[in-house]
Amino acid sequence: MASTATTKRLNLVEWFKTITFYEILVGMKATLSHLLNYRPITLQYPHEKRTLPDNYRGMLALLRYDDGTEKCVGCDLCEAACPSRVIRVVSAEVPGEPTKRYSKEYYMDMTRCLFCGMCVDACPVDALGMTREFEWAVYDKRQLHLNKQQLLAIGDRSFPVREKRLELQHPNVAFFNVAFKHVPPKPD
Amino acid sequence: MTEFGLRLAISLTQIAAVMVIVVVTVLILTLAERKVLGWMQDRMGPMEVGPYGILQPFADAIKLFFKEDIVPAGASKFLFTMAPILCLIPTFIGFAVIPWGPNWTFEIDGISVKPFIISDINIGILYILAFASLAAYGIILGGWASNSKYSLLGGLRSAAQIISYELNVGLSIVGVLILAGSLSLVKITDAQGGGFWNWYLFALPAPQIFAFVVYVISVVAETNRVPFDLPEAESELVAGFFTEYSGLRFAYFFLAEYANMMLVSCVAAALFLGGWQAPYPGTIMELLGLASWSWIESTMWFAVKTYSFLFLFFWLRATLPRLRYDQLMRFGWKVMLPIALGNIVVTSIAVFFYQQMK
Repeated sequence: MASTATTKRLNLVEWFKTITFYEILVGMKATLSHLLNYRPITLQYPHEKRTLPDNYRGMLALLRYDDGTEKCVGCDLCEAACPSRVIRVVSAEVPGEPTKRYSKEYYMDMTRCLFCGMCVDACPVDALGMTREFEWAVYDKRQLHLNKQQLLAIGDRSFPVREKRLELQHPNVAFFNVAFKHVPPKPD
Repeated sequence: MTEFGLRLAISLTQIAAVMVIVVVTVLILTLAERKVLGWMQDRMGPMEVGPYGILQPFADAIKLFFKEDIVPAGASKFLFTMAPILCLIPTFIGFAVIPWGPNWTFEIDGISVKPFIISDINIGILYILAFASLAAYGIILGGWASNSKYSLLGGLRSAAQIISYELNVGLSIVGVLILAGSLSLVKITDAQGGGFWNWYLFALPAPQIFAFVVYVISVVAETNRVPFDLPEAESELVAGFFTEYSGLRFAYFFLAEYANMMLVSCVAAALFLGGWQAPYPGTIMELLGLASWSWIESTMWFAVKTYSFLFLFFWLRATLPRLRYDQLMRFGWKVMLPIALGNIVVTSIAVFFYQQMK
């Protein structure tokens, strides 16, 4: 009996809520409170930009040493590491120095890039970098097929502070693929 | 100048003034709706055109004006062209009987002029209801003439909805008509003077609160606004009856919808909220000894009431999701209609005994 009485009272409450549009009024109170405590979360994008996190992974770039020479040694490891086959490296010997290699051509198809950063991790000489550029909308998507000069230019404008050459950073360590100017050249 | 010419000139001036007010209000409404919706949803609304986006309505108008006017293949060209006009004109005509300010009369060369109403006809509210129903023709013909199934479905839904809820609007008003004993909006408004306790929303012997609620819900449905915007339910019908319309013809439908919102707000203010009457007896201007300037205060009160009602439209739109079609019809016929009829019975009995007691 008691339970029936409770249900009946509840029904009465429910009925009263229905005829007074209680639920709708609760919703309208919520929207009005948002109107009165107006704090927009909108960012007026082209006029104001959000602060990027420190480890932001943006446009890829090829880097240089502080004397202007390219870091890339043409090892193809970035090409092997890339999951979306963005990178194509054409490796070649440095003319006149058969032990040294460099990337004769270096292409990135940025339409496919997913900015995972695995190429940067794979690079043994830190020749690749991820910049903080993200506004790369273009009218023709062929403009996103970048060659070596364009990638170096991105690196030049995004990383103005360059590293010294490796052999100058660590004078007592022997490096592959590096000209040892302090060692006398082998006689022919 | 002949008497006829003078009458014509005065009428045309009044009509032009009212048209300008209506169109400017519609411009404000399009911006206000987007802004209020944005603010309620923690957004900013339009911000690009002009400072804080206040020139957005003009940008929209210019864009719509220069858009290509497409008539779909297989459309009935005559009706396709007529439908937006059929939708717009009945709405604009309704503003002829709205009293914007005090019921004053001027004498110009022996012609009596009422400055705040275009035409004080004695069946004002009936006239508005009649023309509001005509707008349904514009909608259903626009839907049919487009030669598109989405348009046709939207037009059919809209016609059914407007007819169902027009009934409730008419019946919810009857209580007020019984209290006022007149169909003229001027007389109804005059009878509500002397403080907010005399407004028909609260007035003895029969406060019209239930009628007001029925009226609000029904006019939201009648103007095809959220949560009753089934005719233009974009998730089901693309855009409803104006799917195939573009450019200036779409702008006509748009204008008609917002003008209709304004019309029902004006009628709600005039019938239930005392029209131009202030919520206190008399006016502050009269107390200051500026009785001839009290019309400013009166028209301001009318504007405040109308805009508050329009704000309610935006508020409901920001809050409520859309109803299902069977829910809409059941709500209209099984809930709203009995309440409106019951209100008429209660009001009639109350008024009868009130007059017996006097």
